[in-house]
Amino acid sequence: MAREKKIEHYDVVIIGAGAAGLTAAIYCARARLSTIVIEKALVGGLATYTNEIWNYPGFPDMPKGEAITDLMKVQAKNMGAKFKLTEVQSVDLTGEEKIVETFRNKYIAKSVILASGGRPRTTGAKNEENYLFDKGISFCATCDAASNTDKVVVVIGSGDAAIEEGMFLTKFAKKVIVSVMHDEGIMDCNEIAKEAALANPKMEFVWNTVVDSFEGEDHLDTVVLRHLKTNELIPVKCDNCFEFIGYIPNTELIKEQVTLNPQGYILTNDRMETNLEGVFAAGDVRDKWLKQVATAVGDGAIAGYAAEKYIAETEVFECNVARKDKNGAVYVYNAVEAQQRELVTIIEALTSRHGENYHFCKVDVYKSDGIAKKLGRTNYPYVAIIKDGKVDHYIDLISEDNIINALKTS
Amino acid sequence: MSKEVMLDCLGEACPVPLVKAEGAIKDLEVGDVLVVQIDHSCAVKNVPEWARKEGHFVDIEEVDDGEWEIIIEKAK
Repeated sequence: MAREKKIEHYDVVIIGAGAAGLTAAIYCARARLSTIVIEKALVGGLATYTNEIWNYPGFPDMPKGEAITDLMKVQAKNMGAKFKLTEVQSVDLTGEEKIVETFRNKYIAKSVILASGGRPRTTGAKNEENYLFDKGISFCATCDAASNTDKVVVVIGSGDAAIEEGMFLTKFAKKVIVSVMHDEGIMDCNEIAKEAALANPKMEFVWNTVVDSFEGEDHLDTVVLRHLKTNELIPVKCDNCFEFIGYIPNTELIKEQVTLNPQGYILTNDRMETNLEGVFAAGDVRDKWLKQVATAVGDGAIAGYAAEKYIAETEVFECNVARKDKNGAVYVYNAVEAQQRELVTIIEALTSRHGENYHFCKVDVYKSDGIAKKLGRTNYPYVAIIKDGKVDHYIDLISEDNIINALKTS
Repeated sequence: MSKEVMLDCLGEACPVPLVKAEGAIKDLEVGDVLVVQIDHSCAVKNVPEWARKEGHFVDIEEVDDGEWEIIIEKAK
């Protein structure tokens, strides 16, 4: 028998507790929104896989990634954000009420921030599945370095993660053999890391290679590399293998609802808005140029702020703009424009003359155009005629007579 | 009746908690619960991931700062 799920209501549900999700939580909770962060593993996300973070501003001593994200977590908790460490099983983000379900709970939220990040890409080589977890293939040097003391390890990849984590492994392992798919001397990492790696006596490079297969009795003992130009198979004896060949976005659960790019990353605008109202995305899960803790924090701040604005505007919209109990008219204008400002007096006059029968209000779009978007039009000025809580039509020639006639005939 | 088994991995670094958890779950019946107690954050990454890949239900409780209980309900 299926267990009855416990229903909980929140203003904002944030999926993922990496740097982006944690920052969004800080912004949401600080705006007094009831906020819950759902994380399937360790709070801190991908940053916790990194031993030294050199370029996150404010931390000159190259802390472990976890040291930075732990502080973010404390900050979010202090602001009042709640945390739930479990996997999200399904979501329904298309309605006004957003639903996020876990094994035991059903969360209903006004807004959802997707900050689910990515997971390590695997090579897809033969027998890879047999050696995952503790059987010889790892994706986290921070986690498994100590258990490789005096061992021989193979590293796959030549990006920043591969080379920097590979160098970290040389502090423990006796030899680190790096498989690079490019020609000799070409790596995807930054120049500083590359120079240091080439000068490191414990590091060896096997150029122009990819993994062909993983071999070993119970535990991995050989990585068979394939030379890309000669197709020669090169068996490399080792104790463990670390794969650092990029990431794939965690978007399987939302792919039918949220617009993704061909690689599976979420498309957003610069306000972190997705194709769905009230649904925002932040961090590595988003289609973006530079994936760093610093940019994840920026995304999170914007998404948190955007969620706050969305919720506030939805409330204003339903209570004050498009009322279901009273038909009326909304004047939408930009207060920076003198001409548009002057027409405000028309609304004031209408309120004093017809306020008993109709609801009149004005919306200034100078700070935010969220309400204008909800009214369905963002070229100003205009008057929206509201009937039964919905926009009936727009008026461009704004005068007392035109508005009142429209209300009487609509 | 389903039972709940505690597995003390406090003080153990990766991959020890994972190896112990793999061993412990073999002795359980479907519906039984294994609670793995850990205080090395690395195990919060690999133990839940392994357990979910095996098809079990997993929840994590942060019982104290830097101390977790990984609750695994054996599903098959």
